[in-house]
Amino acid sequence: MGRSMPRPQPHTITFTVDGREVKAPENMMLADAAQLGDVEIPVFCYEPKLGQPVGACRMCLVEIEGIPKLQTGCSTQVKDGMVVYTESPRVKTAQRAVVEFLLINHPLDCPVCDKGGECPLQDITFGWGGGISRFVDPKRHFVKPLELSPLIAIDRERCILCYRCVRFSQELSEDYQLVLLERGAHSYVSTFDGHPYVAPFSGNIVELCPVGALTSRAYRFRARPWDVEDAGSVCTLCPAQCNVTLTVRDERAMRVLARDNTEVDDGWLCDKGRFAYQSFHVDERVTEPLVRDGGQLRAVSWERALEEAAAGLARANAHTGAIAAGASTNEEGLLLARLVREALGSPHIDSRRAGALPLELHRALGEPSLQARTSDLEFAHAVLVLDAEPVNDAPILDLRLRKGVRRNGLKLAVASPNPSLLDANAALSVRYPLGEGAAFASALADALAAGPGAEPDGQAGELAKLLRAAGEDIVVLWGERLTAGANGAAGAKALLRIAQALGMAGVEGAGLLEIPAFANGRGLREAGVLPGIGPGLSQAGTGTRGANGAGVQASTDAGSGASTGAGAANGAGLAPRDAHAIAAGLADGELSALYLLHCEPLRELPDGELWERALARASTVIAHSSFLTDGLREHADVVFPAEVYAEKEGTIVHPDGRVQRLRPAIARAGSVRAEWQVIAELALRLGLDTDVLSGAMASRRLFEAVPFYAGLTLEEIGGRGVRWQERDAASAYPTATPDLSGRTGSLAQAGDGAAELAGYRSIWDAPEVEFSPALEFLLAPRSGVFPRERVTLPLTYVGNEGT
Amino acid sequence: MKLLLKGIDEPGLNTLEVYERRGGYQSLRKALAMTPEELLEQLKTSGLRGRGGAGFAMGTKVSFLPKGSMDKFLVCNADESEPGTFKDRELMQKTPHSLIEGIVIASYAAGTGRAYIYIRGEYVLQADILDAALREARAAGYVGEHVLGSEHSVSLVVHRGAGAYICGEETGLLDSLEGKRGNPRLKPPFPAIQGLYQGPTLINNVETLATVPSIVALGGDEYAKLGVETSTGTKVVSISGHVQRPGNYEVELGIPSRELIYGLAGGPPEGRQVKCWFPGGSSSPVLKAEDLDVPYDFNSMAQAGSMLGSGAVIVVDDSTPILEVAMKVAKFYRHESCGKCTPCREGTNWTVKMLERIDAGEATPMDLDIMASVQDHIIGNCLCVLGDAMAMPIGSMIEKFREEFEAHNEAARMRRGRGASPASEGVLAAHGALDA
Amino acid sequence: MTAVRRFEHGSRVPGWDAAVDLEKDPAEIPGVGGSPAPEVPAELRAEIEGHLALYPDRHSAALPALAAAQRLHGWCSPEALEQVACVMRVTPAYLESVATFYDMLETQPVGRHSVYVCTNISCSLRGADALLEAMQRAADAAPDGAAEFNVRGFECLGACDIAPMASVDGVYVGPLSTADVPQLLDDARAGRPVLPEKQLALRPCADPEAGA
Ligand SMILES: Cc1cc2nc3c(=O)[nH]c(=O)nc-3n(C[C@H](O)[C@H](O)[C@H](O)COP(=O)(O)O)c2cc1C
Ligand code: SF4
Ligand code: FES
Repeated sequence: MGRSMPRPQPHTITFTVDGREVKAPENMMLADAAQLGDVEIPVFCYEPKLGQPVGACRMCLVEIEGIPKLQTGCSTQVKDGMVVYTESPRVKTAQRAVVEFLLINHPLDCPVCDKGGECPLQDITFGWGGGISRFVDPKRHFVKPLELSPLIAIDRERCILCYRCVRFSQELSEDYQLVLLERGAHSYVSTFDGHPYVAPFSGNIVELCPVGALTSRAYRFRARPWDVEDAGSVCTLCPAQCNVTLTVRDERAMRVLARDNTEVDDGWLCDKGRFAYQSFHVDERVTEPLVRDGGQLRAVSWERALEEAAAGLARANAHTGAIAAGASTNEEGLLLARLVREALGSPHIDSRRAGALPLELHRALGEPSLQARTSDLEFAHAVLVLDAEPVNDAPILDLRLRKGVRRNGLKLAVASPNPSLLDANAALSVRYPLGEGAAFASALADALAAGPGAEPDGQAGELAKLLRAAGEDIVVLWGERLTAGANGAAGAKALLRIAQALGMAGVEGAGLLEIPAFANGRGLREAGVLPGIGPGLSQAGTGTRGANGAGVQASTDAGSGASTGAGAANGAGLAPRDAHAIAAGLADGELSALYLLHCEPLRELPDGELWERALARASTVIAHSSFLTDGLREHADVVFPAEVYAEKEGTIVHPDGRVQRLRPAIARAGSVRAEWQVIAELALRLGLDTDVLSGAMASRRLFEAVPFYAGLTLEEIGGRGVRWQERDAASAYPTATPDLSGRTGSLAQAGDGAAELAGYRSIWDAPEVEFSPALEFLLAPRSGVFPRERVTLPLTYVGNEGT
Repeated sequence: MKLLLKGIDEPGLNTLEVYERRGGYQSLRKALAMTPEELLEQLKTSGLRGRGGAGFAMGTKVSFLPKGSMDKFLVCNADESEPGTFKDRELMQKTPHSLIEGIVIASYAAGTGRAYIYIRGEYVLQADILDAALREARAAGYVGEHVLGSEHSVSLVVHRGAGAYICGEETGLLDSLEGKRGNPRLKPPFPAIQGLYQGPTLINNVETLATVPSIVALGGDEYAKLGVETSTGTKVVSISGHVQRPGNYEVELGIPSRELIYGLAGGPPEGRQVKCWFPGGSSSPVLKAEDLDVPYDFNSMAQAGSMLGSGAVIVVDDSTPILEVAMKVAKFYRHESCGKCTPCREGTNWTVKMLERIDAGEATPMDLDIMASVQDHIIGNCLCVLGDAMAMPIGSMIEKFREEFEAHNEAARMRRGRGASPASEGVLAAHGALDA
Repeated sequence: MTAVRRFEHGSRVPGWDAAVDLEKDPAEIPGVGGSPAPEVPAELRAEIEGHLALYPDRHSAALPALAAAQRLHGWCSPEALEQVACVMRVTPAYLESVATFYDMLETQPVGRHSVYVCTNISCSLRGADALLEAMQRAADAAPDGAAEFNVRGFECLGACDIAPMASVDGVYVGPLSTADVPQLLDDARAGRPVLPEKQLALRPCADPEAGA
């Protein structure tokens, strides 16, 4: 047994390239190693992200002492003492020859080519070509450009047959839809019988193409490399939080490119992340504050909107419930929690989709020694995908798992209620009835606990055997829904028992990795946006005086003791409500106000009809939202125009604990204000001075409030982010050892309410997709990657099981 | 001395009964009585060099396969698509059991448990005959689990190609056998280390493997006495083109080429002279009449500036314009280029266009030099040697028949009756101004 | 836009100028993940499964499977490719990519009887080009010749000893003269043995000492 390809442990050697001594990791490909000595070897077909080199374009030929024939630098591994020439006469002749050959049939249309200015073929022709072509015969000419998919245009004249795009389709995303047809000089890139190339990751081929053959139909002719600027940030459209570079022109996002981060996205993007930027600039965006007035939402001044909101909240104070989701940053979450708890004296705040967990379990699940890194998904001996469908829940992880299986002999197991796109790659796939994730996990925990050899028959037993046999490094990639709803606590305990049985704790390369329901789910929890749980997973005060001295001090100073006083009085000793209980409270009148931060209950939360009643009865509904969805249009009383992630400043936390930084890439639309600013302003009006005057200050407050973030700075986070578990402050984490006994076996038949049809792709079920013209086509119900009509099973909600 | 063609026309030789009656499968018994190491020694001392084109010593290649229990494969290259070559066809059709016996022996020496015969799809008759012979051999216990009760087991499958020259190139063949497009692979890793399904793989030509039983029968050093030192044994030579008796002839390596072309094949038709000849299939640089006395063996051919290749002699007499020959060769390689690597894909295509302009009298004065340098730019820069396989013969023709090319262009130019500058015309066309 | 002379380059390839049909669904593996599965004729399925069993990796069955589908459908039509894809559990695109690489797999409709005339060097030195021309003319002239015959110039078929030659539905015949053409086509159409006296199968080895 054992890992067939361990994490590479590079051992450094010295070689010579064009007379320079260069140190490089042994067996690195020459094309990369030479760069360490500032020597560039031109390449077209070589792209390390695509796996094994194919040596097709021959652009990278170099001379190596002792080898008579020229060798391809893209496929030759450096050895100690190797002597390499990239500028010898032989090499130069070969380079000029290859460029000349490539240009034979390449059109001279650079002036009208989208790639112009950022085109490897242009650059290499200029840098390594002979400067003239001796080819006087007519070039090929074909109709161009042609549609390859609703998103991508293809120009076959320009194609230099580098194989990158087809290799991506065949070996990376493994959809095998994009292929080469015909042979020799007739070869061309196409799909089967005129079908469009539509797959969750298709957009990556545009970025891979070294010429202007594959272009984004959304970006074509919108800008030139010399009149745009790049802005790095992080995509918050799903929990995968891929690193992105936005191409910005005149304060508008023109396109989104991958900003390779092997610890996060491995250099790829899904099509939602790549194309949904269009929604930043559509008319459906809310760009001014709206207030309900005569049954209608009307645009008003900020002053008026803040006035209304503050008044509404003051009326409800402790009878307020708040929910944060979506792209909400940690800072916003922290501020919201303070607003609700300290200014309103209400304990009712949540950021989970369905049902709270006891503090102990949250702490145990977040235990630093139990957390797997994203890259562990690639190098582990085995990965169990438990109650999740990566391509929907965090698409980019789907590619990572395929890579692990393909390249590193990773053993993949999938346990889910619905068929998974990964089944074909899995060594074992098991199915259980919808909503029985916790029950299955408990069964698996029991099977593992039974010990080697003693596993029971049946799915759980088989799975247990497979995991045991695989090796030490085992990762469980689990979906939040496993710990949601009636059986949430049981699910959480099962997870912890599984971890225990497999001895994950502290094992490098092993651990748990959660896919939260919301993009910044982990961050919001750590910031204390949970019922009864404060910043850094502390025991939150319920709003009673003294529980949050600072806050109350501030509020009394601000001289609006009335509201806080009242809040404190009512808030005292109230049982904190989770999202569901908030809905119930609103529906039966125990709560009167609802505060929504980047959350649309009717779209994103279970129990649709309960929420209908809740929103209908709530006297005050305040929402921060970028889009005016039907639910808000009908029920919201105040709508604050919210930032999209490209406008945001702040921090979020990747599911594996990597604190990442959002940087504003474009100016805020219309009169949009930063969320942190709006919340702080509201707090002030309600008598709580949060002492936050800038985004940076908001972050500083966060780093102070969460003990295991202590000492963190925006500079330290930088462009790549830092996993807080890897910092000294991690020792401040409130470890917990909950009692893991308790109900296992058969559990109340209850899920978090949403069932999915086979083929339904919730990845596309987002307003950003709806409002991006380029992605509209995805909304038609069709096979494969397209969303199917969503069915919500009428599951009875059994409430929070408690400890 | 005949080893392979001896009595090859005996009726029913393709059946097990006749083959056994003539002593068939005795070599296999003899081989199984040795250890694989002893057997390998015999193959090495025989000096047998590959008959598929590259002429690599077979014994050495076998010894490259790693020892050990991993899945290892033997692949018989029966793609025989090198123009002018048809020896494997006759062997498989008339004495299929020689090949099967050779494969089983070789698989014992190399320790390969799975063997495949990759036969070009056009050879329907031969593939059917092989399948029938294979059924007999399996039934008789020569192929399968525990061959003749020994510890050695080998499965054998006949896999039919579908028409692509590049699938004769060993790594292209492997991809094709794995069900992909027949694109050659980067080397290293070489098939002996990482071949079919990533496993160590021995690839040999039909004739090479069919010779193995004779080697075992004679003993390595007896076999080595045949032929000449660096090219031992006998070779089946396919002679075609302008000769009076085209066909397969088995000769000891090292005989004068003249003996082959005139003695055996009867030379060109009455009153015609040899203009040029390909000693080793269309991939080998052409030689002229004055080279007819070069001994027909690997090294002599190399010294003469060509190669023995697959042992296919194509004779062209003085009735044929060199341009026709060049055009056929160039068009063939353009058609067969897999398209994976740039110099071959574009170079073959460009070469054909230049030849067409010469044929039409549209060539510029520089075109022959350009054509020659394009060949130089292809040679050695491709992923596999298909590119070189066009560039070498074309290059040799330009070098040896330059005046004729120029005269051809000039004559055609006169026929067109105008002296328009073809270059400028080409450029115009390139800019789309020239209507069809 | 002026019509630009294409030379023959690319012109053999209809797909070059074709865009996709945006109304179609993506072509995924038939019958997997909710994508529709075609009806597969039982005997075809059986034959393909037979081939699948011969190899450690199912992809190796691609060529035999495509050949079988071509025998059944006359060419590798989209329907044929979808059927093979369904049994092999690969995408039809994978198979089309393979099929278009190999000369013997037809990806356009063709005549019933294949007549490959070798036009490579050894045969052309002995008049193959004239033979091909005659063959094509005769086939075009024949009643519904297009449906009956698929006459193609072919690369070296490995029978230069009977040059000029042709392979008629897989049967090698030669040496041929233009005079043999009518007979050859009639035999093929009638399903009779083609030019029996000229079949390679019956030809003795050229080497005088071979027979002994
Ligand atoms: C373009 C090309 C075509 C080839 N075609 C054949 C072929 O048809 N048959 C063959 O046996 N070898 C062919 N070869 C040689 C094979 O690559 C390989 O060297 C040979 O099969 C090894 O067997 P051998 O050592 O017994 O000769 C070809 C090589 C090239 C580069
Ligand atoms: S040389 Fe020709 S056949 Fe060989 S890999 Fe390159 S393109 Fe393909
Ligand atoms: S980059 Fe090395 S061959 Fe293309």
